[in-house]
Amino acid sequence: MGEKIISIENLSKSFGDHEVLRKIDISVEKGEVICIVGSSGSGKSTLLRCINKLERQTNGKILYHGKEVRDVQKEINEYRSKVGMVFQSFNLFNNMTVLENCMCGPRKILHLSKEESFDRAIRHLKKVGMAPYINATPAQLSGGQKQRVAIARALCMNPEVLLFDEPTSALDPEMVGEVLSVMKELAQTGLTMIIVTHEMAFARDVSTRTIFMDKGYVVEDAAPMELFTNPKNPRTREFLGRYLAG
Amino acid sequence: MLERIFSSADPTNSLEWMIFMARKYSSMFLQGTWLTLYIAVLGTIFGFLLGYVVGIIQDLKINKEDHIVKKGMTRVLKAICVVYVEVFRGTPMIVQAMIVFYGLRQAGVEMAPSVAGILVTLLNTGAYMAETVRAGINSIDNGQREGALAMGMSPMKTMFYIILPQAFKNIIPEMANTFLTNLKMTSVLNVIAVQELFMAAKTAGGTYYKYFEAYLIIAVIYFVLCFVFNRVFLFLEKRMAGRNDYVLAVEYMENQ
Repeated sequence: MGEKIISIENLSKSFGDHEVLRKIDISVEKGEVICIVGSSGSGKSTLLRCINKLERQTNGKILYHGKEVRDVQKEINEYRSKVGMVFQSFNLFNNMTVLENCMCGPRKILHLSKEESFDRAIRHLKKVGMAPYINATPAQLSGGQKQRVAIARALCMNPEVLLFDEPTSALDPEMVGEVLSVMKELAQTGLTMIIVTHEMAFARDVSTRTIFMDKGYVVEDAAPMELFTNPKNPRTREFLGRYLAG
Repeated sequence: MLERIFSSADPTNSLEWMIFMARKYSSMFLQGTWLTLYIAVLGTIFGFLLGYVVGIIQDLKINKEDHIVKKGMTRVLKAICVVYVEVFRGTPMIVQAMIVFYGLRQAGVEMAPSVAGILVTLLNTGAYMAETVRAGINSIDNGQREGALAMGMSPMKTMFYIILPQAFKNIIPEMANTFLTNLKMTSVLNVIAVQELFMAAKTAGGTYYKYFEAYLIIAVIYFVLCFVFNRVFLFLEKRMAGRNDYVLAVEYMENQ
């Protein structure tokens, strides 16, 4: 067993009276690729946003290497720089070129030199096949290209964990393929990833662990082979119905 | 004929009167133009700065885990900004000019009229700009902010590196508009004895009882100023829009 990077303990989140997450307990170990699946509104994205602290949990805590991440801006900033996030809507900085987007984090947050930031940016842009587009602005790219740049931008921070919030939901099928293949390669390099997705085949083939969520609960947390062939919970079986063998 | 119009010592029609007065009071009109520009430019620039500060303060978020002192200070600052914006947007500039100038004088602060003019212009501009900046900040998709925060950027840096540059670009037309408005609004400053263009026309027109012609002169001057600046702003806006194409970095192509 690898070392625990993130532990989520008894995490709950409510928006007003509406309980979105209920008593979530998950721990993430180094090198794991965790896919979170479930129907819309089951709380998957909110959980991911809580892990990145974009949403404040109502109850419970998040531990990073065994130490609680408190609600202090400085601690949050430092934690976030280690736990990157890729969004459904890409969120590339529109006032910057592809290269500037990737250099921005290393320069302004990690305070690396220009040369080092540039090398990093090029290295990761090459990895996602976007290096030739360094002079383009986000508006000039296709959705798939934007998402690949967003992944490179997150990698430039050298994160320990990368969170993906439905990274392919805004893309057409062809672009989904190009983004998923980049993510597959990343998974093979041993990067720890938590992926909220509706791509069941991807979850089945790439994840080392699949979590099924429903109504704010973690219903099932198992190896993909098990979850996709022999789900224990009737709700999981219902949701995964058409992906199940036979 | 032309020679007669331009050298006339005893003008007979409106055009001749305009030329006569423009020549006779040329230094006064020139100085008025200069002072109008001076007040408008300085008042606008400082007003923009003030507007940005106030707009950013209005956008500050109060987190419930912040220290009590920080929370209190933020609340007070925000309240001051709200009052300031409401008051200066809710009263005419000509009244503000009187109150600031004579109020300060009564309080024992002697201020040259032109300085008071800049002060009034910048306070007025600041109030309007604050609203423009706030709207500009709000117009930026929240994803931009989240993208920066999620990678560990502080909220302040996010504002300065990501949000403001984009908001700035969006509000350039409104900023140009504000400057042109200020250029014309300096005319009300004659009530606190600023020797700007309106004052020059009043003086020249009063001497000869030729008000129509005198004000026509400064109308032309105002118009030319606004027209020129408007062209400059349009040009700058086009330049800022940038290119539509980009150059492929062919040196990295083999990795495709």
